[in-house]
Amino acid sequence: MTARAREAGCRSRGVGTRFVCAGTAGAVAAGLLTSFGVMAIGLALAAIVSAAGSAAGEAERPGDQPASPLVVYTVSYPLQYFAERIGGPAVRAVFPAPPKVDPAFWAPTSASILAYQRADLIVLNGARYARWTERATLPLARLVDTSAGFRERYLVREDTVEHTHGPTGAHTHGDLAFTTWLDPALAREQARAIRDALTTPRPQHDAAFDAGLASLEHDLDALDREFRRITQSAPSRLLLASHPVYQYLARAYGLRLESVHFEPDEEPSEEAWKELRALVERHAAQWMLWEDTPLEATRARLAELGIESLVFDPCARVPAEGDYLTVMQRNAASLARAYE
Amino acid sequence: MRHALFLAWCYLRFHRVKTVILIAAVTLVLYVPIGLRVLVSQSARALTARADATPLVIGTRGSPLELVLDTLYFGANEPAPMRFAEVTRVASSGLAEAIPIYTRFRAGSHPIVGTSLDYFGFRRIEVAAGRQLATLGECVLGANVAATTGLGPGDYVVSSPESVFDLAGAYPLRMAVVGVLARSASPDDDVIFADLKTAWVMAGMGHGHQDLTAPQAANLILERTERTVTANATVVEYNEITAENAASFHFHGDLAAYPVSAAIVVPPDQKASALLRGRYEADDETVLVVRPSTVMSSLLDTVLTVEQYVLAGAALVGVATLGIATLVFGLSLRLRRRERETLVRIGGSRARVATVMAAEIVGVLAVSALATAVLTMLTSAYGATMVRAWIRS
Repeated sequence: MTARAREAGCRSRGVGTRFVCAGTAGAVAAGLLTSFGVMAIGLALAAIVSAAGSAAGEAERPGDQPASPLVVYTVSYPLQYFAERIGGPAVRAVFPAPPKVDPAFWAPTSASILAYQRADLIVLNGARYARWTERATLPLARLVDTSAGFRERYLVREDTVEHTHGPTGAHTHGDLAFTTWLDPALAREQARAIRDALTTPRPQHDAAFDAGLASLEHDLDALDREFRRITQSAPSRLLLASHPVYQYLARAYGLRLESVHFEPDEEPSEEAWKELRALVERHAAQWMLWEDTPLEATRARLAELGIESLVFDPCARVPAEGDYLTVMQRNAASLARAYE
Repeated sequence: MRHALFLAWCYLRFHRVKTVILIAAVTLVLYVPIGLRVLVSQSARALTARADATPLVIGTRGSPLELVLDTLYFGANEPAPMRFAEVTRVASSGLAEAIPIYTRFRAGSHPIVGTSLDYFGFRRIEVAAGRQLATLGECVLGANVAATTGLGPGDYVVSSPESVFDLAGAYPLRMAVVGVLARSASPDDDVIFADLKTAWVMAGMGHGHQDLTAPQAANLILERTERTVTANATVVEYNEITAENAASFHFHGDLAAYPVSAAIVVPPDQKASALLRGRYEADDETVLVVRPSTVMSSLLDTVLTVEQYVLAGAALVGVATLGIATLVFGLSLRLRRRERETLVRIGGSRARVATVMAAEIVGVLAVSALATAVLTMLTSAYGATMVRAWIRS
């Protein structure tokens, strides 16, 4: 018996052949020696012929040429911004969601998904952000989950409903808070994950990526210090959020924040106002954070309740003006009003 | 000479039963060793090529041969499932890419292979018609599947239930065919490919159903609190994933615990391969890493050993057959003594009569040689297709 045969799980039996392999090999070899031995071996060997394989190897993808920029598709604008800052001219970062659509709930067309498939890297936020990625066919080897390094620090949403039916047990459909980038410390970790992912296919740009990351981290640190300075001036300040999207910001800076479900471009229902009044009775906040500028009527009615409005844009979409950093700086200035 | 051939032909035609038996016997004697050699050499080449093109395979500990056969050739004997966490473990090691393979389900006689998009790049398989997989619930057909079923983009394939008596088991999923793969002359031509997550939906680990928080589902609700909704078992679960219901599909529990049959592991170089294999050497390791080329070489060793025995047997049978054929010809010549004398009396020379007899023998041998050549060509051309079905049955 050869060493290779032993490795394949063969053992000696001495029944007609020199040895018979366990399992399938045994079946193959024994079959070959039956009364239909000749035909059996023909069939067995033809099976081998049927297994004629093609040569393997990596298929060429866009950006495989070292000189061409690495094509990176992202699922949110902050990730696109981070990739651009880190990668510089060596990277072409693309975030193809339409500008008016919330990327968290975007349902891309097949054509958009095929465009993602052609990318060199697909950068995900993780924390179940952009749920469409769970239902899309994407190349595992090119997926980068930027929050995989801090999964244990994910926040569970408290406003989801658990349901039970049939034998599958209780489960929920959207149980994690996902705006991780609103915590600059987590955003830094996501940026590092992007740097690591870029370095693998483009090691020759390692130094440039490090420099890009250092520059980005410097800005994120400054942002972190600014948020901390603002929020520590009145740590007991009570706040409201028009939507439950600020969980990571609240945790990072100890914000005492409660959320409702108001849309900036819709007038809340009377039931929603009733819930707000009930909430304010136990959480007497004077400021509400909005993702976008609310309707004037909503703002006025909030003012009647003694609640001022301020815009804190999570910046998941491409901003109309500026970039991620300038939006966050505007957010800091806006937040500062609540802490004056 | 022409007359001699004519007389020989008339004789063989008149004694057609004896002639056919002789031709069949001589053909088999010639074909068995030649056809066998053709198959063996082609098989060895093809087997080595596909195995060599697959650097490593990981799966749950068990028979390495079954693991490799299932992963490379999608055989009927699915190995014990492995946790998907093992796939991410390989990927997160930074030493290799891992391509999951999940072969639990079939559609009729065709295996459904749940995998990731990386598989097509790894095997260099292009889409010949339609497009590549994009979302849950879609499939692409191997070239032979499309040819034999007549299906193509725009059609549907329904996965087979595993057991009609398992009411709580996996239900059939109706998948949209979005593409047909280019022919690759490999087992990939004979299977249906779907996204791994689509295969998990078939397994019942992911599903889509009515929104239980919506007012329309009120008659399904057994209990509703602020944080929980309990529905009865009549909740409609979708057996097809469409653009309208796709958003309702979701997976339960930790994906890391979900099953795959095996994974193809693609390290960038030998060093990474050796390092990775070293990590799975521990005795308490539940996962097996094998090199398909090594496993297939051992199988070839076995097959080649068996082949030697078969060839030896075929040689003995051949000698016996040729002996019998010689006897048949000899006896035939003796029985035809009066026929030869008649030919001489009506003016044929003894040389001409000998030519007629020789033409009969040469004719039988020539037809046998021709039949052998045809059979060998057929073996080379269609043997693979026949046994491809056999190996998966």
